Amino acid sequence: MATFSAITSVIFAPSLEPSFSNNVIAERTSNLKMAIGGWRKNSFPSLKTNRFCVSCSAKPETVQKVCEIVRRQLALPAETELTSESKFSALGADSLDTVEIVMSLEEEFGIGVEEENSQNITTVQEAADLIEKLVEKKAA
Amino acid sequence: MVLVLGAGCCFVKGYVVEHLLHFRLLAKLSQGRMFSFVSKRLSLMMMTKVCCFQRNFSSALPPLVPVKLPSKMETHFWYVLPDEVKSESLLSQYSELLSPREKKNLYHMQGDQFKKSALLARVLVRTTIARYQTNCQVNPRSLKFKKTIYGKPEVDWENGDKWCPPPLHFNISHTSSLVACGVTVNVPIGIDVEEKQRRLKNKILAFAKRYFSPDEVKLLTAISDPEIQRQEFIKLWTLKEAYVKAVGRGFSAAPFNTFTIRARVVKMGGFHHFDTQHSEASEIVVESSDDPENLTRNWQFALLDLAGSHYAAICIEKENSAGGEAGVPMRLTVWKTIPFVEDERVSGTGAVVPISGLIKQL
Repeated sequence: MATFSAITSVIFAPSLEPSFSNNVIAERTSNLKMAIGGWRKNSFPSLKTNRFCVSCSAKPETVQKVCEIVRRQLALPAETELTSESKFSALGADSLDTVEIVMSLEEEFGIGVEEENSQNITTVQEAADLIEKLVEKKAA
Repeated sequence: MVLVLGAGCCFVKGYVVEHLLHFRLLAKLSQGRMFSFVSKRLSLMMMTKVCCFQRNFSSALPPLVPVKLPSKMETHFWYVLPDEVKSESLLSQYSELLSPREKKNLYHMQGDQFKKSALLARVLVRTTIARYQTNCQVNPRSLKFKKTIYGKPEVDWENGDKWCPPPLHFNISHTSSLVACGVTVNVPIGIDVEEKQRRLKNKILAFAKRYFSPDEVKLLTAISDPEIQRQEFIKLWTLKEAYVKAVGRGFSAAPFNTFTIRARVVKMGGFHHFDTQHSEASEIVVESSDDPENLTRNWQFALLDLAGSHYAAICIEKENSAGGEAGVPMRLTVWKTIPFVEDERVSGTGAVVPISGLIKQL
C-alpha cells in the first residue's frame, strides 16, 4: 500500500495544483492522501528528508502520543487542529521547542535521537515514524 | 496583464531595460489607462522618482529608503516589534511582498500572533536586503531566496545582470514579539533572539545534560538561584544557536554538545573602548571538542539585552586569518524599524544593553 502511494505521488506531482489535488483526494484512500499531501509540500525530495519512506506506517497510538506531547510543548489551544501532517513550524514551534519536543519524545518512548535525525523531524508523522524505527531497533 | 508581465521581465533583463520600461509605463499611466491590480504591482516596482504617480494611489507603499552597506568590519542589526505594527492595511500590503510559497506557508500557520511575526520576518528580510542595493532599485518582492546544500537561507541573485550584488550575508530570527535580521558584508553571520521570560517545559539541567557540553552543564549546575540559572540557560542557548546558524551547516555539523561557549575576561589594555556593564570586558569564545583550534578561533560573539524583553546573540566570522587579532570589538549598529514607515537607530541607547562580548556600538 505504501509502495503504491509513493509511486503514485511521483506520477501526480508535476501536475499538482492545490485545487486539483483536493478533487483527487476526495476519490482516493487516506494513504494516498498522505502521500500526495507530503509530496505537495516539498516539490522535490530534499537532501534531508525522505518522502518515499516505504516503511512508514506508524501506529495510530504513536501518532496520538506525539500529538499530545506537541500540544503540551507548544501550549496549543484546544481548538487548534493537530494532525499527523501538522508541521511544527506552522504550529509556532521554534528551534528550542523542537529540541524540547524531541527530548520529551525520547523520555516518553525510551529512545535516543541522533542530532542529524532530529533535524529531519518537522511533522508529527515524521516524529512518529522515527520513533517506531528506533523502538524497533532497540527491541531487536 | 501585458503591463504586469512586461514590468516583471525587466528585473530579469537588467537595469537599463528596467528604466526604459519605467518610461513606457509612465506614459501609459498618464493616459489614464490603469487597472487597479496593475497599479498595486507597479506602485511597488517604481520606487524612486515617481512621487507624482504614487500620490494618485493611496494604497501604494512609499519608496524604501536606501541604506549604506555595513563596512567590512561592521555588523548591522535590524529589528521589528510586532506590537508596534498595528495597521491592518499595512500588514495587508506587507503580504503582497511575499512570494507565492511564502504566502502559502503563512496561510498554513496557526495563531495570529505567530502568523504576524512570521509575516514581519519575511518582510524585514526582503526590505532590508532591497534597501542595501543602492546602485540599482531592487523590488523586495522580486528577491528570490534559496538554501545552501546545508539548508542555510541565502539570496538567489538572478544571473546575467549587469550589476554585481555585494557579498551581503544575512540571518534572521524571531519570536512572537520580536523579529530581527542581522547583516554583514563578506563574513557569515548567525543571530538568535529569545524572550527573556522564556521557560522550558523540561527541567533545565536535564535538558543541558542532554544537549549541552559537559563544561556548560558544570557552569549551569553551579548556579544555585533557579531564576539566574534559567536566564543563563537562555543566554547560552541563544549563543549556541547563533553560532550554529553562522556556521550554516545545521545541527549535524555542529551538535550542541560538541562545543562549549563561555565568556572569558579580557584585560582592558590598548585603545579599544568596550561597552559593558562591568569594569572588565568579557570576550565570548567557542571551543570545540572535536575540531581543530583554527575553526573555533574564527568566531566573534555579542550578547545583548534587546528592547528590555529579549536576549539577542550575534555571531560573525572574523575577517582575518586564523586566530585574528585578539580583543577587537564587534562594531555594531542597531535599528528598530517598521518597514516602509520608520527607522530608529537605537544602538547606544537603553534599548540595546550589552551583556557580554566585545562590542562597540555605533
